Amino acid sequence: MHAPVQPSASASGPAHRPVGLKLALRLAWRDLRGGLRGFGVFIACLALGVMAIAAVSSASRGLSEGLGREGRRILGGDAAFSLIHREPTAEEYAFLARHGRVSTIATLRSMANAGEKGAALVELKAVDGSYPSVGELRTDPAQPTADLLALRDGVYGGIADPVLFGRLDLKPGDTVLIGSARVQLRASLTSEPDKIAAGVGFGPRLILSQEALRASGLLQPGSLVRWTARVLLPEGANTDAALDALLANAGKEQPNAGWEIRSRGNAAPNFQRNIERFTQFLTLVGLTALLVGGVGVANAVRRFVEAKRLDFATLKAIGATGGRVVAIHLTEVMLVAGFGIAIGLALGAAAPFALGYMLADIVPLPFEPTLAPAELAIAALYGLLTALVFAVIPLGRAHDVPVSALFRDQIEPDRRQPRWHYRAIFLAALAGLVGVALVFAYDRRIALIYIAAAGFVFLLLRLVAWGLMALARGAGRPKRPALRMALANTYRPGALTQSLVLSLGLGVALLSTLAFIDVSLRRQLTQSLPQKAPSFFFLDIPNAQAAAFDRFLAEQRPGAHVERVPMMRGRIVSVNDVPAEQIKASEQMAWVLEGDRGITYSAAMPEASRLASGEWWPENYRGEPLVSFDARAVEGLGLKLGDKLTVNVLGRNISARIANFRDIEWRSLGINFVMVFSPNTFAGAPHTNLATVTDKDATPVTSDAALMRQLAIAFPAVTAVRVKDALEAVNTIVGQLAGAIRGASGLAISASLLVLAGALAAGQRARLYDAMILKTLGATRRFILSSYILEYAGIGVVSALFGLLAGAVAGWGVVTQVMKIDFVPDPTGAIIAATAAVVVTVMFGLIGTLQILSKAPASHLRNL
Amino acid sequence: MAASEGTPAVIELSDVELSLGRGAARVHILKGVSLTIPQGQATGLVGPSGSGKSTLLMTMAGLERPDSGLVKVAGQDLGALGEDALALFRGRHIGIVFQSFHLVPTMTARENVALPLELAGADDAFERAAAELRNVGLAERMDHYPAQLSGGEQQRVAIARAVAPDPAILVADEPTGNLDESTGRSIVDLIFALRRERGATLVLVTHDLSLAATCDRTVRLRAGRIETEAGTEALAI
Repeated sequence: MHAPVQPSASASGPAHRPVGLKLALRLAWRDLRGGLRGFGVFIACLALGVMAIAAVSSASRGLSEGLGREGRRILGGDAAFSLIHREPTAEEYAFLARHGRVSTIATLRSMANAGEKGAALVELKAVDGSYPSVGELRTDPAQPTADLLALRDGVYGGIADPVLFGRLDLKPGDTVLIGSARVQLRASLTSEPDKIAAGVGFGPRLILSQEALRASGLLQPGSLVRWTARVLLPEGANTDAALDALLANAGKEQPNAGWEIRSRGNAAPNFQRNIERFTQFLTLVGLTALLVGGVGVANAVRRFVEAKRLDFATLKAIGATGGRVVAIHLTEVMLVAGFGIAIGLALGAAAPFALGYMLADIVPLPFEPTLAPAELAIAALYGLLTALVFAVIPLGRAHDVPVSALFRDQIEPDRRQPRWHYRAIFLAALAGLVGVALVFAYDRRIALIYIAAAGFVFLLLRLVAWGLMALARGAGRPKRPALRMALANTYRPGALTQSLVLSLGLGVALLSTLAFIDVSLRRQLTQSLPQKAPSFFFLDIPNAQAAAFDRFLAEQRPGAHVERVPMMRGRIVSVNDVPAEQIKASEQMAWVLEGDRGITYSAAMPEASRLASGEWWPENYRGEPLVSFDARAVEGLGLKLGDKLTVNVLGRNISARIANFRDIEWRSLGINFVMVFSPNTFAGAPHTNLATVTDKDATPVTSDAALMRQLAIAFPAVTAVRVKDALEAVNTIVGQLAGAIRGASGLAISASLLVLAGALAAGQRARLYDAMILKTLGATRRFILSSYILEYAGIGVVSALFGLLAGAVAGWGVVTQVMKIDFVPDPTGAIIAATAAVVVTVMFGLIGTLQILSKAPASHLRNL
Repeated sequence: MAASEGTPAVIELSDVELSLGRGAARVHILKGVSLTIPQGQATGLVGPSGSGKSTLLMTMAGLERPDSGLVKVAGQDLGALGEDALALFRGRHIGIVFQSFHLVPTMTARENVALPLELAGADDAFERAAAELRNVGLAERMDHYPAQLSGGEQQRVAIARAVAPDPAILVADEPTGNLDESTGRSIVDLIFALRRERGATLVLVTHDLSLAATCDRTVRLRAGRIETEAGTEALAI
């Protein structure tokens, strides 16, 4: 028997005990035993997004680790000291030899002249007897490198990239002229251990001995040859400390060498930077997939809350607080999210291995597929935060589900906003997501732009949905019943408008952005350039032959525009006596300080330049050496007028004052330089010339092939770079990158399709009810179908139009602000994408309805 | 009405007014209801549909807040409690049996009964739940899910769940409304047996006058007001 009841202390002021995690987990797990019904799209969306991020970051890690592990092989030693124009002096060589075994290579561009068969640009690599010091040079046929390169009967040996054999229609054993040296191509190159460190070349590789290079006559004062001395620390003493000592001593003992130093830990900095940059782009695309999928998460959680309404009320009736109800079900939702994330992680972690297997023989990258726990953890964090961001608000509404729902049907939908603490959790999770995106971004500026754009698009899409609903509500009552019903369906409680506009709008925006970028990029590379771009660049024109070369071009291409300027290579050593390494450069301008740059001198300002500030020097200027700099360096490097710039040219440090800054139109592809010096700066210094020829006619008198053949005979030292070939090389790379971006974007678009299909499937039950009632009341199938088509098409067209516009704006932003190329406002691709999206929406929507409509209403009504 | 002499009141309602809905759809449901129920009494609430009996029950159980008036249960003014405090109060003092059972479909019978005990932090929730199920005759059906049980069995589970935390007050809203006559009779017998066994106060909403007649007292509502109150004999006449 109960004793008389007294007001309990707990009743008058019960302690708010937070629900224990153990209990929440137990109850959540209990609820999940029945299966994951209704969570299909939720899991798929998270798995897809997490997979994209995990795969991209794991693959990137594999590549970076490969680069790190293979640093010695890529570099050809523990450290490499590069000099432009000249070989190391005996003193410099002796310094290096004190630290380890030294080998040298020389690289330059040249022409391989195959006589009647033509001439082709080649990337020469002249090696010494110890090449390769690290790694293995694979050739076909496989023979010792020294044998393949040896001098036999006055003919040097060469190992050529198979592309060169194809380009000049040669076979092993054939001979080409390199400068004035005869080189027999004795083997084709299968794999070159230090290929990546050299960067992207415009011609096929040709390896020969340094004796052959010296015999070729290509080594003239000022020729664009890069000498690299590689130091291999003694076995057993090749520690990081020994390496650091070598690098430190190099700076101290040879301060004026002007060499560019790389170590095994930093073997291919440009390549590494490009990997990181590209990884960020792909990660952002993966994050887009995750955010699009977030809409699917929110839809699924909303449906979950609706379906569980009575269970929530029951829990509250038997003593659970609203907070407990939410905590239990948030735990449940996060457990499901964990499952989706685990699938994504497993697929993402496996992707690099699959990629490594597929690309093993195709891409010569030091790619070592690896399980990357840190990267996978970041991908999981992205997934968890996304799930939380999109789940907490709809779940928060469960807090206030009235227990009275157990006694009577709800009279009107509950429009209350979730309590403040759920909104606080949402904001915290959102801040976490933004924070993770920023913290792990390679370029925070781009990450920030992306976040702002994504937030803006989400907000805008919500506004579009609200606007559309308001428009439908205010459209009055059209006479056509199908249209009337379509309009009513657009704004009725539980309408699909919000979810459809979000998923479709985002999908079309993404597709249309890609389409605009694609068309702009292709137009830039294939159509807009050749009209104003030169046909050829000619390098290494000896100063003594400059006049003869001009005459040669005038004969070969009469009437063509020829531009010729002096050309040297130099490295920035310091600005205002601050060493280049200590200058803080922006991401966009860091390259100017790294390695050597082409420099020239001129009395007049180069074409395609505009003075941004300062003054150009007088024609016969004789005073202190002056230099004109690319205006982007004002912000990028913090330079200002009057600064003292010291460059190392031909092994000498030369200082000049910055006299002016120029805005340079790089896209003209004409000759231009970041640094242009006043002529007196380099008076008497040996140099070569750089020339371009721009054809006025579409079909010049002599073909490009004939010109290259004639050139190889008349000027064996001069290298011709055909712009079309160079552009094709760039085009191929851009094509491959675009392919990777499209692949990752495909995932984002798949996520948007999933969300779309999920939203439509969820609406199907309500549609089924409507359709059956309408049929019972005498509506024909045609009427019902036309009403649904009108509704889906209306929402689809509005979303697609928004997506098109948003895509155009985003595409314009990426093209003009990030890629710095012209935006081509050709909407064809975007319109095709948008139309396809509308058709897919209507089709998805009608698939379920068509099945329903073919049956008698009674069978369905019994089950409703 | 005053509590029976010597028996303290466990439920006290004073001048309770309640309207539901918004704007034009707003309906005035409870119109100045005052009622006192002493501890241990079985009270039947009867009246035509829409008279406000279920709403009155919900108000007593703290599931609905009145617009005005006082609701005191177990000496606690429910108006002074926030939503969460009310939920905890319910968990400790009030067991509810619904017409539609409202079992959690993803949980077995035992888990459903253990749920309020788990929420209250009881370590022996499952042992006590098993004992309650044995008590209502479902020893063999403990690990069945609601969908695997008949309507009568589901209602037995719901009753076991309601009484498991040993509440002082048991409220039941049309507990036999979804059951056939013989099953309904056995459920009523079970509720009354448990109430007797534990000395709980019972408030029962029903359309069934014979069921109401088994209560100590009957309160008839009409249009949101208490129309008559009578002992069992009076109602039976």
